[in-house]
Amino acid sequence: MSRAGNTAKKRRVRLEGGVLRVGDDEQPLYSGAMHYFRLRPERWRAGLVALKDLGLEMVETYVPWSVHERERGKLDFGQGDPRLDLGRFLDMAAEEGLRAFVRPGPHINAELTDFGLPRFVLEDKAVQARSPRQNPVILSFPPRMFPVPSYASDTYHRLVGGWFDAVAEVVKPRLYPDGNVVLLQVDNEATGFFRDGPFGQDYHPDAVALYRRFLLARHGDLEALGRAHGEPYASVDDVVPPTEFRPGRQALTQLLDWAAFREHLMEHALGRMRRRMSRAGLSGVPVVHNLPLGDGGQAASVPALEKTVSLVGFDYYHAAREHRTIKRRTLALAGSSKLAYAPEMGAGAPPWFTPLSHEDSLYCAQVACAYGLRGFNLYMTVDRDRWYGAPIDAMGRPRPEARAWKAFFAFLTRTRFFELERKAEVALVIPREYRRLARISHTLGPISPSTLEAIGASPVDACRRDTYGFSEPIQLRYWHMLASFARALTAAGIPYLAIDSDAPPKRFEGYAVVYSPTWELADDERLAALDAAANSGARLVIGPRLPEVDSRGRATDWSAPAGTLVLDAGGDDEVTECVAQLDQELGLAHPFRAHPTPVETSVHDDADGPRVLFVINPSRRAQRASVVLPRPMRLRDALSLTALDAGATLELDLPGQSCRIFELESRPRARRTSTRPEASANQGESKAKESAS
Amino acid sequence: MISPEVRVEGWDQHSWTLLMGLFAPGVVERMRTAERAEDDPSPDGAPERTREGALVIVVDSREQVLAAFHTSRGRADELDDAGDPEALAERFGARRVLIVREGALEELVERIALRLRPDDDYATQWLTLLRALRELTAAGRIRIWPTPKKSVPIPSPATLKRALDLLLPDGRAIVFGLWHAQELATAVVLRRRAGAIDLVAGPDLLREWAGPLGGDFRRDYRVLVDAVTRSVAPVHLGVFAEAESLRRLLRRPEAGAWAAAAATRDLVIHPMPPYLAVALGADVANSAARGAAALLGGVDLLRAFRPLLGYVRSRVSEVASLTATLGFNPLDALAQNLRQRDEPDEP
Repeated sequence: MSRAGNTAKKRRVRLEGGVLRVGDDEQPLYSGAMHYFRLRPERWRAGLVALKDLGLEMVETYVPWSVHERERGKLDFGQGDPRLDLGRFLDMAAEEGLRAFVRPGPHINAELTDFGLPRFVLEDKAVQARSPRQNPVILSFPPRMFPVPSYASDTYHRLVGGWFDAVAEVVKPRLYPDGNVVLLQVDNEATGFFRDGPFGQDYHPDAVALYRRFLLARHGDLEALGRAHGEPYASVDDVVPPTEFRPGRQALTQLLDWAAFREHLMEHALGRMRRRMSRAGLSGVPVVHNLPLGDGGQAASVPALEKTVSLVGFDYYHAAREHRTIKRRTLALAGSSKLAYAPEMGAGAPPWFTPLSHEDSLYCAQVACAYGLRGFNLYMTVDRDRWYGAPIDAMGRPRPEARAWKAFFAFLTRTRFFELERKAEVALVIPREYRRLARISHTLGPISPSTLEAIGASPVDACRRDTYGFSEPIQLRYWHMLASFARALTAAGIPYLAIDSDAPPKRFEGYAVVYSPTWELADDERLAALDAAANSGARLVIGPRLPEVDSRGRATDWSAPAGTLVLDAGGDDEVTECVAQLDQELGLAHPFRAHPTPVETSVHDDADGPRVLFVINPSRRAQRASVVLPRPMRLRDALSLTALDAGATLELDLPGQSCRIFELESRPRARRTSTRPEASANQGESKAKESAS
Repeated sequence: MISPEVRVEGWDQHSWTLLMGLFAPGVVERMRTAERAEDDPSPDGAPERTREGALVIVVDSREQVLAAFHTSRGRADELDDAGDPEALAERFGARRVLIVREGALEELVERIALRLRPDDDYATQWLTLLRALRELTAAGRIRIWPTPKKSVPIPSPATLKRALDLLLPDGRAIVFGLWHAQELATAVVLRRRAGAIDLVAGPDLLREWAGPLGGDFRRDYRVLVDAVTRSVAPVHLGVFAEAESLRRLLRRPEAGAWAAAAATRDLVIHPMPPYLAVALGADVANSAARGAAALLGGVDLLRAFRPLLGYVRSRVSEVASLTATLGFNPLDALAQNLRQRDEPDEP
């Protein structure tokens, strides 16, 4: 690379190797949230100092449009209200040696009234999303219900552009290398403001126009579109979006098109916003986006969104009892995204959510890291209005809970956790077309699939039972078959990942086993992904039916690669047998296997082999756990720093819903080692029993 | 009645959970409830049986059930006919049942969107929602079990405002302070300004305003009332107690319980607004009629409350009855609700 090229590279911030490369420096993606606009400026420094004392090097803040522009055209960035002096806040963070992650929305939620959008924007009818009857779409969040904007509205995007210009005046001079801003986020939780039921929105004229353009691109031309929909369209204006469920195979294509469009709408809008941010001068640093809880039922695809932003992460607000959900979401993120990252890892919660304890928040963060999360923004780190439970209070004083977070961040930094790898030989491929089928089969309207999932049910619970002429109700069965495989793998102690089927083909390579449920309906994109997996040496498992037709109603011409296992009925017993058979045939790894059920382990390697071990008891009952070690080793508790020497097994007393983390100090050489109980049985009775500490 | 600019602040996770546990125990119980069977990590895979918060939802058309599920246990594909909601609750071990005719929820949100006005506050918006919901339940498109009492009217915004005027007049504050182990364990301060509640503050802020406390609520309450008066607004009602005492009182509907607690200083009410004085006065009278000495271990309630009763007599004409204003007794309803939640879920 030329000297000029090197210089240009040093002036940019880029995502690389699990961290932000800031010139020659590396910045792990650990940050803490603090809202300058909610605190008196005289408290900012105490909060920033306390945040840094937790071990964080980066502060994150939203920039609320509605707070800075209370009246149209009258912007206040500290000229009137000193709390709104964003520039001074960022400079103060820089003085304290903190880098900054800035999230200017336009939608930010942040528990602000109207989710941080100005009234003059929301009350503009040209901005408002539309229901099937052309009414506004109302979100009933406290402390006021409001009409949500349309992500397709040209008027909305024009107003957003003006907001970005205003933010850029303050933030652009502070972007790296001139300042400390190294990361940006565009918008927030772009899933239609939680009003993402299948036919809840968006029938805004600009959305309908976009829908028509999308359909022409998807089907090729009007004639092909008409054939697929069973409608002889004379003009593209004849194409109208479906406003309710309709039965039958012909209608199914139209409904699946609508479900696909709802994803496209968000991708298109975020791309448009990101480009507008760049035009305002907010560029040169990575731009991320976050998806809220309920991703299994959302009209959003992480890989598709990552075509328009640098990185897409998940928000985490989970109680310890939601262990399986934390695990499932993280494995899907780790498999599908460029880097498993949480723009919001809850520490505390808004007062109108189900209460979360400190133990819940810490357990959630630890389990997410156990299953592959490589970075997160602790939200909130400094307490504020409409929030409780941050580790630092609003006066900038650390609460007792801060100690545990500090120890956890010290562990993440000390072990360079962001560059470790959790090895998995098995991948579960989540079919995007089945997710769409589930969404259009949903019967609870505004209580959307993602809402159901977010409140602890499953996104397929309220799906109708129709088979659409296929052999089974695919929209129900796919979810349960994936869960069945996940259970069988967990029970066998075999690490796995989950990958969204529209991830880039390379993401499917390098696995020993790849499973994806198939019925008569299957899209070419997924089948190509399965081919890519098979070509890289994976043993495919599919079924219980072979693909015949795709979402666009076209016959599928796909032959399963040689050696593919096709499940017969896909019942739990068959899946368990299948996993056992593959395990035996392929000699899959069971690293650091734990007993009894339900204790789980997760291992993270560096170049020399296992480096960090998580031992998790997800049940409410205390467990006496036994972990089979590949060889005698010295372990160090990552949080208490207590060391212990262990022989063939490590025995632990685990309280209910707890996670222990160990740094492995005496590491075996990097090679695949069988750690099954029978293999280690000959290693004698050497055990380490941890003293209570 | 609720300001769109309302500030809610001043709790840590412990003090917030404690507060929720007192007034909404079901919410806290859900924190401890295991997830559904397919996610349950217990060795036997059996979901922990609980009806707390459990809800069965059925969506049907005129001809058939389209979808049915239990929020804790997943789908109920064996259900062919929604039938009687009470029977469904029994069959699925659920505390509540919701039967929705296909399209009814979509209709509900369309009606709400049509009726909301830009200046409506959150309480008014919810009243609009409840009225639309009642229309759909009256039309049989949404069925809820247990069936909401038709006798409980949905108040108008004006009625709700009148009730709030009694409970918390404009420009005043209410303070609840609860102690545990000689510490202010949790608290809530509500302030009403310009007609709307604009501040909901917790113990962190209360401590900041008050400075060091002694640890005995019977003495500290004056410090807290002064601090809130100084920092927030004149206090209209202050309730101070051990957290456990208040938890017990909230679940005791019998006459005399609150009066007895106040008389024995298990509970300090200071200042005491007229409506509460009336309520407690009635409580005293009832208790006295049933034999105060026997009920209260010899406490002479009539003597203890003689000054109060005089005060009540002088003010009773000034205060409207909260029950008459709302059309139902909100304290009775609260106690009944809290008692239900504390009942064991399984035989």
